[in-house]
Amino acid sequence: MVLDGKQPPYVPWDCKFTIEALDKMKAHYGDDVDVEELVDNHFIKLGASSGFKINIGNDRKKDIFGVIWDMTHEKDIGNVEGLVLPEPTLDGYEFPDPNNPMLYDGMEEKIAANKDKFILYSIGFSLFERYWTLRGMENAFLDFMMYPDFVKDLMRKIADFNIAVIKNVCERYPEVDGIYFGDDWGAQKKLMMGKDVWIEFIYPELKRMYANTKAHGKYQLIHSCGDIEEIIPELIEAGVNCINPFQPEVLDVDDLLNTYRGKVAFHGGLSTQKTLPYGTVEDVVAETKHLLEMGKDGGYIFCPSHATEGDTPIENIVAFIDLIKAQKC
Amino acid sequence: MEELFEQLAYCIEYGKINKPSPFPPDMKDKDGADEITQQLLNEGISADDILQKALIVGMEKVGVKFRENKVFVPQVLMSAKAMDAAMAHLKPHFANSPGSQKGTFIIGTVEGDLHDIGKNLVAMMVEGNGYEVIDLGTDVKAEKFIEAAEQYPGAVIGLSALLTTTMNNMEEITKAIKSHNRNIAICIGGAPVNQDFCDKIGADSYNPDPQGVVEFLNKTVE
Repeated sequence: MVLDGKQPPYVPWDCKFTIEALDKMKAHYGDDVDVEELVDNHFIKLGASSGFKINIGNDRKKDIFGVIWDMTHEKDIGNVEGLVLPEPTLDGYEFPDPNNPMLYDGMEEKIAANKDKFILYSIGFSLFERYWTLRGMENAFLDFMMYPDFVKDLMRKIADFNIAVIKNVCERYPEVDGIYFGDDWGAQKKLMMGKDVWIEFIYPELKRMYANTKAHGKYQLIHSCGDIEEIIPELIEAGVNCINPFQPEVLDVDDLLNTYRGKVAFHGGLSTQKTLPYGTVEDVVAETKHLLEMGKDGGYIFCPSHATEGDTPIENIVAFIDLIKAQKC
Repeated sequence: MEELFEQLAYCIEYGKINKPSPFPPDMKDKDGADEITQQLLNEGISADDILQKALIVGMEKVGVKFRENKVFVPQVLMSAKAMDAAMAHLKPHFANSPGSQKGTFIIGTVEGDLHDIGKNLVAMMVEGNGYEVIDLGTDVKAEKFIEAAEQYPGAVIGLSALLTTTMNNMEEITKAIKSHNRNIAICIGGAPVNQDFCDKIGADSYNPDPQGVVEFLNKTVE
């Protein structure tokens, strides 16, 4: 309903937690707590939000694009180690197979077990992030300036891969309601690469990917951290239905929700940079209540503006979970 | 000569590294920072003059434009690359005459934090403004900052963090440095950091952009 711009009976939610936050929840609710059941999210996400990886030992993982991830420090996603494409050329590089069964592993069972949920297939690191994991962050930014043709070529091939995956998902699993694209473009102020670069290099491939999702009759939800306000009109024009994580430290959540209600929904909003780690329970309650009140008219799905981090006091986690669930009582 | 200084400053501002570099497209086949710096040295201009009258002038413009959201990370990195090309010629001269740079800046991301884009941008901008930069990299413990501060007396320390989970280490590191020597100036930055946090942990300066760090250094370093 919310994604169609209609007024819901209560504000839906979908909250994520990092491994460290989950550990705190287990300590509080008991080791055998089923967090999915406890939180009772409205979404179920299949696919992978940060890529398909296999363990290769020594606290390292390798994703299907050949990127090695060091899991020593950042245990949820990891940190890229080395460069798959040290030079701006695709000579000798083979793209992964979009028919790799790993990409669709266990989907039938998960769909069957979650028929009452809004079923999403996640394509994390969907364009720019996939690019920089292959080329390295600094090279990625320099490539926009130095090797524009190579950037366009690699972006096109990444999008082609995603489009093939979208086709497989939509044709094989008609129960899937939407595709969830993750790709960080925002900095604390404005886009990291600037709007002109985003429009020239990233937007054309986004439009192509999003048009494919729409052609299959699916919703599309996107995630980009940071201040992405200046590109919301372009995202709407490309057919985006929902924008996450709606960070209150960098975006005016009240203003955006009122401005774009009926055109695009927002998912997020509860401060993970300030209120959750540093606020009191009263602060968390006040902010959550405000967001739920604003969301009553539609256009809003509640969650913290990032996976809840391990530095959030457990009392603050319990506070927002209790409030969102109380809506249904 | 003034014209060459202006050309070099322009190359830094717009990220023209050298003649073969394809960027910016409207400077195709023109000399870049590399060639012009060499030309100035060949004409007997001192490394210090080149730094002061061209490189810093160009880099300051980039810093201000970045603060005003007129350029973004890609353009700043191109300027930094042009700066590197020029500095490669100047560094041997500075090595022979210590003290010709404005001062020393030690920088790193705090223990536990591996996110280094912001740290790298600040390092590049500070170096481009005439300071020697000791980049300790990522995930840096308090002891390592203190060790570097001992090695470079009078240096200012810059601490960077992207995450709220690692920002707390900034407080511990600041306290450890200050209890070792309270005269060491510390500036902090990163997405979740703000002036209140800076005041709370006893750091000397918070800046939301690299140019702010340059301005703090210009005020602090004698």
